[in-house]
Amino acid sequence: MDAATLTYDTLRFEYEDFPETKDPVWILGRTYSVFTEKEEILLDVTSRFWFTYRKNFPAIGGTGPTSDTGWGCMLRCGQMIFAQALVCRHLGRDWRWVKGKRQTDNYFNILNAFIDKKDSYYSVHQIAQMGVGEGKSIGQWYGPNTVAQVLKKLATFDTWSSLAVHIAMDNTVVMEEIRRLCKSNFLCAGAAAFPAAESDLFYNGYPDGAEVTDRLSLWKPLVLLIPLRLGLTDINEAYIETLKHCFMMPQSLGVIGGKPNSAHYFIGYVGEELIYLDPHTTQPAVEPSDNSCIPDESFHCQHPPCRMSIAELDPSIAVGFFCNTEEDFNDWCQEIKKLSLLKGVLPMFELVEHQPSHFSSPDVLNLTPDSSDADRLERFFDSEDEDFEILSL
Amino acid sequence: MQTLHSSQSVRPFKLRKSFATRLEEVAGIRAKFPTKIPVIVERYQKEKYLPLLDKTKFLVPQELTMTQFITIIRSRMALNATQAFYLLVNNKSLASMSLTLAEVYRDYKDEDGFVYMTYASQEMFGCLLPTAQGKLMECPLKT
Repeated sequence: MDAATLTYDTLRFEYEDFPETKDPVWILGRTYSVFTEKEEILLDVTSRFWFTYRKNFPAIGGTGPTSDTGWGCMLRCGQMIFAQALVCRHLGRDWRWVKGKRQTDNYFNILNAFIDKKDSYYSVHQIAQMGVGEGKSIGQWYGPNTVAQVLKKLATFDTWSSLAVHIAMDNTVVMEEIRRLCKSNFLCAGAAAFPAAESDLFYNGYPDGAEVTDRLSLWKPLVLLIPLRLGLTDINEAYIETLKHCFMMPQSLGVIGGKPNSAHYFIGYVGEELIYLDPHTTQPAVEPSDNSCIPDESFHCQHPPCRMSIAELDPSIAVGFFCNTEEDFNDWCQEIKKLSLLKGVLPMFELVEHQPSHFSSPDVLNLTPDSSDADRLERFFDSEDEDFEILSL
Repeated sequence: MQTLHSSQSVRPFKLRKSFATRLEEVAGIRAKFPTKIPVIVERYQKEKYLPLLDKTKFLVPQELTMTQFITIIRSRMALNATQAFYLLVNNKSLASMSLTLAEVYRDYKDEDGFVYMTYASQEMFGCLLPTAQGKLMECPLKT
């Protein structure tokens, strides 16, 4: 418990600086040299939103917890990866946070979406309460998939960002499903969605033509989250190269996961070490106030980021990507395909064009590809022989 | 989602039966069903969320894909689409979903002739404290 309640100041001197190494440092799709770009690395890290345990926030659900110390670390990691998606969406990957500098309205709109109060889009309050639908009572621990599923639900209320959130289950990414999702708004729900977007445009003082461009390209910005299990107790070494490649892609949102029991938000790697932001510091909750003057210093990690050996990674993770345009998505698909052809590299997930048919044998191909497939398959569990369950087509 | 079976623990198939018995069993069943793949499906020993299957040994048509096989197992457990479920071959690898069982068998079969798969959901993350999760949840309520 002590480690979790230490403040940033007491920990400051325990953070090691980057090792002097020729290995490139990869942070969310950008590469840096430790020798010549140390400042740039730290500025990039500091610019990420850093969400930690907080105490003394308004009680969740009115009478629930007022702190998430001890249970909220995966919820905080979910917030961090999602905030990065919003940064890419509203500010761009190249945006940097500079201490003391006056930030834009878009910046404060993002921050406000994560402030610890009941009506922020992605507050710990919203995440904990939406988790009830996923079978998690308030205060229970989450896994990477749990928080991903909850964030997907919460994102539907965030009309300002208008994101398409896809969670690829069964370690399979189906391109057709994603294209349908990202274009859906413009085919059927357009009439309902546009007035809302228009009013947001007005109230948030959206200055540039970004929104217009988005509409012309008919593609909702995509947040792709892929929950995985890369081994039982330890990560299978064969996946390590692919994992590193995820941080090298320009679409990278990083990875949520951790060491056994402690969740971390992984933003990059150097050599055989992962670079991460750690939510295990309890800070006092920031008083919700007027949007544009939230004290924001405690939401950025101003010390060198933590590092750990890749081999220590718990195998349960979720990998995230952001594709602002259809072109970004096509590029991402190309990169993943190339990666699967590399020798000695085991892909962590599979990329396919169509939903794999649940049936492949010719005599059953005519069945309708919907959930009734499962029921039909069920009937094939028909006979038993010496304790074997025999499946037939 | 906790299930009734979650506290049960079963000794792994390999420990329950000797190598010779397993070898014999595969030889017998392969002779009888040459086009079906003998698969052992077991729950990860530390799994807390997924139910226990009532069967361990499966004979699966060789042309069935991993997607189809996982669909069967998922529906067996009545899992909904958003629940995490992973089937790891030889305790370590996620087999590609488009592989057929024949291909999985070719690449991963054990020397006893079975192919071994273990299923698990995802780990949950929280503070490292020796007490039960229930106790932990109360801490923030008191502060």
